[in-house]
Amino acid sequence: MIPINNFLILSTILFSLGMYGVLARRSAVLILMSVELMLQAVSINFIAFAVYLFPEAFTGIIFAVFVITIAAAEVGLALAIVLRLFRNKGTANVDEADIMRW
Amino acid sequence: MSEAYLIPGIPAAACVLLLLAGKYLPRGGDFIAIAAIMASLVVFGFVLVDALDVINADGIEGFSKSGGGRSWEWISFDLGGDRRFEIDLGFHVDPLAIVMVAVVAFVALMVQIYSVGYMRGDPRYGWYFTVMSLFAASMLLLVLADNLLLLYAGWEVVGFCSFLLIGFWWEKQSAAEAAKKAFVTTRVGDVGFLIGIILLYAQAGTFDISELFEAAEAGDFRNADLGGLGLGSNGYLTLAVLCLFAGAVGKSGQFPLHVWLPDAMEGPTPVSALIHAATMVVAGVYMVARMFPLFDLADPIALDIVTVLGLITVVMAALMGLAATDIKRVIAYSTLNSLGLMFVALGSGSVTAAMIYLFVHAFFKSLLFLGSGSVIHATEHQDINELGGLARKMPVTAAVFTLGALAMVGIFPFSGFWAKDEILHAVDSHQGLAVYAITLLSLFITGLYITRLVIRTFFFQSRNQEAAHHAHDAEPLMTLPLLPLALLAVIGGFVVFSGVGEALGFPGGFGEFVFSHEPEEFDFAIDIAILSTLLGGGGVVAGYIFWSGDAAPAKRLGEMFRPVYLLLYNRFYIDAFYQWVINNLILALGKTVAWFDRKIVNDTGINGPGGLAVFAGYGLKLLESGKLPNYALAISVGVIVIAIVFLLVVV
Repeated sequence: MIPINNFLILSTILFSLGMYGVLARRSAVLILMSVELMLQAVSINFIAFAVYLFPEAFTGIIFAVFVITIAAAEVGLALAIVLRLFRNKGTANVDEADIMRW
Repeated sequence: MSEAYLIPGIPAAACVLLLLAGKYLPRGGDFIAIAAIMASLVVFGFVLVDALDVINADGIEGFSKSGGGRSWEWISFDLGGDRRFEIDLGFHVDPLAIVMVAVVAFVALMVQIYSVGYMRGDPRYGWYFTVMSLFAASMLLLVLADNLLLLYAGWEVVGFCSFLLIGFWWEKQSAAEAAKKAFVTTRVGDVGFLIGIILLYAQAGTFDISELFEAAEAGDFRNADLGGLGLGSNGYLTLAVLCLFAGAVGKSGQFPLHVWLPDAMEGPTPVSALIHAATMVVAGVYMVARMFPLFDLADPIALDIVTVLGLITVVMAALMGLAATDIKRVIAYSTLNSLGLMFVALGSGSVTAAMIYLFVHAFFKSLLFLGSGSVIHATEHQDINELGGLARKMPVTAAVFTLGALAMVGIFPFSGFWAKDEILHAVDSHQGLAVYAITLLSLFITGLYITRLVIRTFFFQSRNQEAAHHAHDAEPLMTLPLLPLALLAVIGGFVVFSGVGEALGFPGGFGEFVFSHEPEEFDFAIDIAILSTLLGGGGVVAGYIFWSGDAAPAKRLGEMFRPVYLLLYNRFYIDAFYQWVINNLILALGKTVAWFDRKIVNDTGINGPGGLAVFAGYGLKLLESGKLPNYALAISVGVIVIAIVFLLVVV
């Protein structure tokens, strides 16, 4: 059996990649995709813990399904916002959308 | 007697009605004020009849102790344990209160009728009667209250009414300032009064006056100490009654708080007659008489202080009366003079003498004030240098004024003679020769300045033809109230005789009705009567010689002793001294405190943290860049920091 550490290392790498993307990218679409990576890293953790620690319970797996569902809804909403941003500014660069400040 | 609460209640209701609806009533609602005080007088009549029934059945001793009345719970707190803090709205009828209510209600009625004429056409006519009603209500409350706190409430409200009425014509700067001066000066004494009440409550645990007497007799105040002051066995009670007396000093214009009363003459003249002659200013005398058992049980030094301050006031006021030229101010000084005499009587241990003087003084002094009001109304002058020769133009006013003046000087058989005789008798038998001599001497000066006032106002040539030309006796509404007052000023003193008292249904003469220890029959001492008549009459004769015609002898004397004249004219420079103290010490202290408040408390203490918050906000707002990656970075860093802290602390 594959040791649980391998799953955790995988999810950590995925999460870090996602976080790097969120911090470093300027395009709103790419930031969204990075967020998806982070979410899936969390899902891997859920499933790994569910299978290895509480095999008789489905809680972790159900949570992973929830995360995927919510992520789908969230992307639908976020893409709509990005679309509006693009319509108004002519760009999806988040650095340009900085009018919400002092 | 249980209806006694109606006596102050009716004018109070009238005041509320006038406040709410006075504007919509015809004539400003003056008839309501007058009807209310009439109704009070009628209720008082019933109460008096009841009281006399009780007295005739149980004797005066039993009546004084029982003090019929009624009581409601007003304020009640649980203090924990079985202790309660209770203030009752209670009314108490005793001989002192009966005399006082008679004076207040009767003079108030006369003055209000007179005011209808005097105040006619005033833009605040209705307001005048509203405040007069409030005054009557609170004064009667003060008189009938059965506990000190209720008495104090009435005491403060009459002071407030006095303030409103002195400053009635507040458009005039001097009136506004006089009102302020009266209010602040009496407040000085009132603080002492309140401290006295608190001291008494602290030991006896009650505000009820008769319970306080019982506590004092039981020795509850003995050996009480105040924070290790070392007061001695009787010191606590002495201190408490002296604090009470401080209130009387302020209210009754005794030295050193007498300065407000002459200035209070800025108010309308009927106000001076009612408040600053007959009723409010004698509240101090009444209060001391009411609390007299406590003064009696305290160290004798308390009554000595009462005597000395009274005596100083008597002499100073009489001397100042010699130099004043404003007709109302001269009468104000004579009021101070009379009040001083009452305190000398109290200091000599005679409540009877003080109260009989208070009783007749109310009549002849309000008569003098109302008479002077008629003069001012007719001539629109109140400086006696501008008056003179008015007797031909206003014979009735001149006649009643002269009667009042004779009563004030105490010429046989006018009312003042008998009252003054009682005082002299008390002084003679309880005080040293010096006090007796000074009291007698003051009678001479009284004769002098009262004569000066009368003859400079009403007799010889008028010094201002224009003012005298239009003068005439006032309308009947203003003349009629003078007549009963004049009658009482003449015959009011006869109540000292047992026969007169019994004929009126009382248990005897004044001294057998109002007394502190035991009923005392009027004791006529011929030597005192002769002495006082000689001195008073001598004053009148000397006054006539000095100020008759063009007053040449008085003017020569004034030139010869110019410094003395200036000293008297400037009221011993006491007012100037107080003004100096206020300007240089109190205002300087006030400025220091204001500086501290502005710079330290406000600029540093309050604006300091405020400024810091503004500055911090200015700095922190720069963090809000609006750039998404910055926020994302902040969140990431935050999560990492939390994770590290979690690892270090929890795991």
